[in-house]
Amino acid sequence: MSVWRPARCLFSRSTTLPKPSASTSASHQPRPFHSSCPRPARRRPHYPSIKASDLQLLNQAASESYPKYNTDETALLRKRYTPAQIAAIKAAEAAIDPRDLLTQGQQRTDPWRLPYEDDLADVDPVTDHADKLPPSAIVGKKDFRLANAVERDEAMSRIANENLAKMYPDGVPDGQLSRKDQEKLEENMEAAFTQAAMDPRAVYTGSNPRALEALADPRHSVILPDLPRIENRMARQTRRLADEEEEDPRQKRLLKYLDWDKDKLRSIRVKTLIVHGVTNQTRMGKIRSLYYLTIAGNGNGLLGVGEGKSVEPEEGRKQSVMAAIRNLRPVPRYENRTIYGDLEKKVAATKVQLFARPPGFGLRVQHLIFEMARAAGLQDLAARTPRSRNKMNVIKATWEALCSQKLPDEIARARGKKLVDVRKVYYGGSVH
Amino acid sequence: MSLVNLAHVCSHLQNASKARLGLTSIPVSKLHVNLMLGLQKEGFLSSVTLGGTAPPKPFLLQSQSAPEELEKMANTLAEEPWNAYPPPEAEKSSPHPSPLGKEQVYEVHVPQNPARRRLWLGLKYWNNEPVLKHMRLISKPTRRIWLNSEDLGKITRTRQAGFVKGLTSPGECMFVTTDRGILEARECVERRVGGMVLCRVS
Repeated sequence: MSVWRPARCLFSRSTTLPKPSASTSASHQPRPFHSSCPRPARRRPHYPSIKASDLQLLNQAASESYPKYNTDETALLRKRYTPAQIAAIKAAEAAIDPRDLLTQGQQRTDPWRLPYEDDLADVDPVTDHADKLPPSAIVGKKDFRLANAVERDEAMSRIANENLAKMYPDGVPDGQLSRKDQEKLEENMEAAFTQAAMDPRAVYTGSNPRALEALADPRHSVILPDLPRIENRMARQTRRLADEEEEDPRQKRLLKYLDWDKDKLRSIRVKTLIVHGVTNQTRMGKIRSLYYLTIAGNGNGLLGVGEGKSVEPEEGRKQSVMAAIRNLRPVPRYENRTIYGDLEKKVAATKVQLFARPPGFGLRVQHLIFEMARAAGLQDLAARTPRSRNKMNVIKATWEALCSQKLPDEIARARGKKLVDVRKVYYGGSVH
Repeated sequence: MSLVNLAHVCSHLQNASKARLGLTSIPVSKLHVNLMLGLQKEGFLSSVTLGGTAPPKPFLLQSQSAPEELEKMANTLAEEPWNAYPPPEAEKSSPHPSPLGKEQVYEVHVPQNPARRRLWLGLKYWNNEPVLKHMRLISKPTRRIWLNSEDLGKITRTRQAGFVKGLTSPGECMFVTTDRGILEARECVERRVGGMVLCRVS
């Protein structure tokens, strides 16, 4: 602050607080003696105020873009329509406010709009599908029979000729052709013959040629014409197949991280084992969120544990699932069914003891360890949790124990001894 | 034959492994020496050396043959492999030298006073993990446990016998003192001898 500033300002009003009014720069107001901010003098309305002049503008624009019928036009209308019809038209026009039309009515911009101006009052032979014809439109008998080989060949050649004539209205070129033209001609001939072979007129024959023609006529087909296929960038991007699910950006990132495809991700078995609410006590109050602990496994020697926490339940669950899949670690399994020897792991006050068991023993373990063993693909296991049974610590201890097993090969290398799996030798290697 | 000293040795070896020591020493007794030789045979220890209060020189610091001599020795052995065996007694006194050259023998100073002798053990590590991690007494100084070969057989097949838990964790060993010396439990089963169980190691 400059020393040249008059001391009056210091005492008159606080500079940090908003000005009570704009016109107090010269005639200063006394400083308020309470700390809360003074209310602004003018209250702002909750809705934008529309000025009368703007309304006038809208009326003007509406009358310009949707003018009333003038005398010439009414005269023209009277030539075409009856007085009752004209009355109906006028009533319909009066029912719609031109201002609404101006503000709400808009040109279609969707991909399914017609690419041409049309009120769809009549059928255009170029742009529209032809009207369906009833069976009564076919004159004469309407019976068919399967054609024999001779009749079929004759019909096929005739239809192929017709098709070729459509492709080459000036006659099929002959003599010496360039290579490109020759290729095109062969391609067209093949297409013509394929179409002829698939034509119903070649398969069936009958006494009435009109009925035969009706077989290949789309106007007599019971199949509805296809909807127009829209091919532009927007349509491609917004098109969704039924089996295509919503793309999750987190899942996308996970797939990139793991270098997996979606099928592999789908084969992972995921189960949320623990959900509970947690609170963060702040000076503003308690912030409640949900904690999730999820395990993931492929049922074939991979096991992961992930935690997630969020105020949003779904968000926290997804977090934990993704973390579990990201944390997948190999679990060594003896004969693909149990563990190598007994394991013991202590996490905090929780101790987990896991015991290897013979084939057919089953998973005789508590529920949390059961789920983990199933996800990892273990089939014979016993376990004890002699101390604390805190769920989170039980899961973590089990995971640690399963993933950090000492393998016999490693022990043999470390001791410089030869270790042999006696079971494998006894059963002649016919165990896993 | 006090088991108190053996208990101290067990804890000391565990502590030394946790501290990642390469070499450690224990007091000398016949029991200790035989047990340590058993441990070395099972691959838990890299060396067992009798010495004084100062540790023996590490192998890399001992005087060794020159590379040329080593090469010559290797060539000789390749041509006449029987030279790897010690010469028969008749030739030992003969004056002409061995075909492999002069043997390098490292003499460790062992004090005359038995109280100053120590047993120096080389500890092993693999994949950043000690090879010998757990070592606990089974027989206690106040409660000795003797087992016959049948019981030992059950224990080596991971079953409990005579209040002794089976050898269930992979690579676990148990040492038994018998009238044939200190043996591993599996060796006892093989030779059908029983004895007093000392400790389990893994």
